[in-house]
Amino acid sequence: MLSKLIKYEIKATGRIFLPLFLALLMFAGITRFISPLGPEKFDTPAMISMAIYISIMVGMFVMTFIMMIQRFNKNLLTDEGYLMLTLPVKPWKHIVSKLLVSMLWIVGSGIAAIISIMIIALKKGDLTKIAVEFATFHQQVYEYLGTSMYLWSFEIILGILITLASGIMIVYASIAIGHLFSRHKMLASFGAFIALSSLSKILITLISLTPVFTYFSNIHISSNDFIGMQHVIQWAIACGIIFTGLLCAAYFAVTNFILSKRLNLE
Amino acid sequence: MSTILECNDLTKKFGSKEAVSAVNLKIERGQIVGLLGPNGSGKSTIIKLANELLTPTSGTILIGGKKPGVATKKIVSYLPEKTYLNDWMHVNQIIELFSDFYDDFKPEKAYDMLKSLNINPNDRLKTMSKGTKEKVQLILVMSREAELYLLDEPIGGVDPAARDYILNTILRNYNENSTVIISTHLISDIENILDYVVFINQGQVVLTSSVDDIRNEKGKSVDGLFREVFKC
Repeated sequence: MLSKLIKYEIKATGRIFLPLFLALLMFAGITRFISPLGPEKFDTPAMISMAIYISIMVGMFVMTFIMMIQRFNKNLLTDEGYLMLTLPVKPWKHIVSKLLVSMLWIVGSGIAAIISIMIIALKKGDLTKIAVEFATFHQQVYEYLGTSMYLWSFEIILGILITLASGIMIVYASIAIGHLFSRHKMLASFGAFIALSSLSKILITLISLTPVFTYFSNIHISSNDFIGMQHVIQWAIACGIIFTGLLCAAYFAVTNFILSKRLNLE
Repeated sequence: MSTILECNDLTKKFGSKEAVSAVNLKIERGQIVGLLGPNGSGKSTIIKLANELLTPTSGTILIGGKKPGVATKKIVSYLPEKTYLNDWMHVNQIIELFSDFYDDFKPEKAYDMLKSLNINPNDRLKTMSKGTKEKVQLILVMSREAELYLLDEPIGGVDPAARDYILNTILRNYNENSTVIISTHLISDIENILDYVVFINQGQVVLTSSVDDIRNEKGKSVDGLFREVFKC
């Protein structure tokens, strides 16, 4: 059932994002095409197409944010909730499907943005140059770090994804808390967001005062000792990931509890 | 006959206000039941409790012996009083959604009914009038072969002609094993199809009876009895 929910979530959001991505890449192409001599030779049409390109780019990122809120709030907590929440599906699957698809579009927007920048900025031969340089960079890092490079990349990617997920889950939890109020739900959600983020900050501060973390913060990393320190740093990152993961789980638990036990659709 | 819906001391409070207070109710399978009461009497609240859209403050509500959850949602076909259709789908897409999630949904039934009500399956839900949306929703709900149909004010917003069609649809699509519970205050319109009635007022069940008993023993119509019980 989760895969079906994800399918419908992608259908519901893809009809907005795919045209946006397409428009972004198209205007990147147009900008590139009408100003082949580079940014210093910009004329009016190029300026216009550049302006459109930039507005689409901004619009795309604003849209990921709006969609993240809208899909959760409108689809589950307004009249549409009567349909979604009476489907024979556990509430947590609704949350997971919305979370994953939201993350998908945020990452997708990032990738579309990078590609569009490459379309505009790259000159002939740049791509091969980048590929070559990336290969040497990869080589150097590998010589320096050895196989732990893969562990590093894994940690970094996991860290980014967990941070992204917790950023979305705090918004979902806030909307769910706002739903508990009979009036001024939006205002209550906003208040809940401020309360939740302050609470998380306080928790982080408290935890960073515990002996384990004061130990981490007292370590001075010098570049020539990076290899020696890497286990410690990796542990610090791992702890950060675990803590963010726990926060994320807590937001999830709050959201799930409200959706399954405290639901009160208008 | 076995029990399809059972409430034991079912209570739901909103703040300090009791919307449903200590309701005890047993509905047997194989009948069309009218859940009748004035506005705000707790009809919708009971139906929402049965669909897990609300959680009881105390007491239990059981559907086929089970608490509301995934298993009961598979056998309950629910028509809410709200239009729950989103604005971006086409009718055939929402039919596809129902076929995806409900094993007992029969798309051919839905397309049949759409045809007889002159609704184009390729129309976008957004462009439809409120009445048409209500018809689409009823078609979706009645195209399932569910054990229990919970219809909350199914005829509230549609014209009398469509009202007849809807009632016929309900009659046609329901079989001996399934049960239909219709909540409404428009009694005279549905009186003829009901087997059993539950009168509800201020969150409490005030009367349960078969329609035959009302007619034979009291010599009244359900509508007449309703007016008497709920006299202002």
